Amino acid sequence: MLKLLRKVVQTGQVTLPYPFAPVEVAPDFRGKPVYDFSRCLGCSACARACPPQAITVEWSGQQGVATWSINYGRCIFCGRCEEVCPTGAIRLSEEFELAAARAEDLVVRAELQMTRCSGCGEAFAPGRELEYVQASLQAVRGTVGPVLAERLRLCPRCRRGAAARSRRAGLPGGGGSR
Amino acid sequence: MSQTDVRTPEDLRAAEERLAAARERLKKVIRRSVYVYRIDCGGCNGCEIEIYAAFSPLFDPERLGIKIVATPRHADILVYTGPMTRPMRLPALRAYRAAPDPKIVVAYGACGCSGGIFHDSYGVWGGTQSLFPVDVFIPGCPPTPAATVYGMALALDLLHQKIRGETHTEEGTPAQVAPRYPEVSPALAVRIDREARRLCGYREGRRIARQYLEFVREGDPLAVDRKVKELVKAARDPRLAEVYLTLHQIYMNAGAPGGAEAAEGRS
Repeated sequence: MLKLLRKVVQTGQVTLPYPFAPVEVAPDFRGKPVYDFSRCLGCSACARACPPQAITVEWSGQQGVATWSINYGRCIFCGRCEEVCPTGAIRLSEEFELAAARAEDLVVRAELQMTRCSGCGEAFAPGRELEYVQASLQAVRGTVGPVLAERLRLCPRCRRGAAARSRRAGLPGGGGSR
Repeated sequence: MSQTDVRTPEDLRAAEERLAAARERLKKVIRRSVYVYRIDCGGCNGCEIEIYAAFSPLFDPERLGIKIVATPRHADILVYTGPMTRPMRLPALRAYRAAPDPKIVVAYGACGCSGGIFHDSYGVWGGTQSLFPVDVFIPGCPPTPAATVYGMALALDLLHQKIRGETHTEEGTPAQVAPRYPEVSPALAVRIDREARRLCGYREGRRIARQYLEFVREGDPLAVDRKVKELVKAARDPRLAEVYLTLHQIYMNAGAPGGAEAAEGRS
């Protein structure tokens, strides 16, 4: 009995005051993936990488809107989305207090406007992504020529057609996307 | 997908009222600790391990008046873990019927909330919501003990809910997205970033690549050289020094500022 009491006094209190005081999490703790809409391109890399399909991107070519959404109720907090995001739009935070009374509160959605193909008029890619690609090409090559700039505004199908036509005509820009 | 995933505002209001009424009765009528019974509907046992970790002396939810019991007949809170698998749906329903009213149903973990990573598997019916109305969702894979305590406290109305659903639209936000490493050639940035991630994983690698590219952005090649040498000398961890030197090699081989084109030509 005395032995036990000594042990108790030696150990002291181990219980954390958690719900009434914040608890410390480990460094690099993988908590709630926080979405920064202002940095999102709508490129769907996260949706392709997400193992449980908690992140989805639905494209509507007719309406010209790409809808990005994450369901925290399905997320397994693996961090693949953070790994593949080219701009750092999604980042795992240290937030773990995610419990909610409604399933709707666990969903974050974002709507991105898509660019329409200058050939066939169907929406084919988010506008932000095209702008980003053009800016990157500009930075790498110094300049983006008129042929390339025009091709960027075509959907893949129309782009193939345009490349084939210009190749047949012997115009510059044939034989590939450059 | 279950039919309960799309709920009308009336359903939501009814669910909220039911939860509020259950909480009131638990607080006013029962006047004792609440008892928790957990049902594993086919999960991987990760959630069970975390529940028992949460009930260890470190978090000790019994000081909040939350106890685990061995039978649903004594339970006030039913915690469903794991995806709703076909063989477990009848035992899950039996436990639900056995628990006396008022009861609070908690969907625990990613699988309990929505089916999780098994949501499209054969024999999985989805989350707990596919069988009966859920009052509190505790996401996580598995939820940490602290998240478990938070969820239980939320179910008993001791704490407030923090998370809210959001919808973003493009109006009012700038259309141009800045690159991850501004003012550095994208070709060089990609090579540095990729090598750093290959050497030390995506999270630490990104951190190192960001620091290195900060040097590149600020100064001329000589300044970069000097700063990296200083960093390597100061680094306690020889592996970190090695990584910095490898990145520096890439930068030098690419031929300093004009090196981006050279890098592009090779790749």
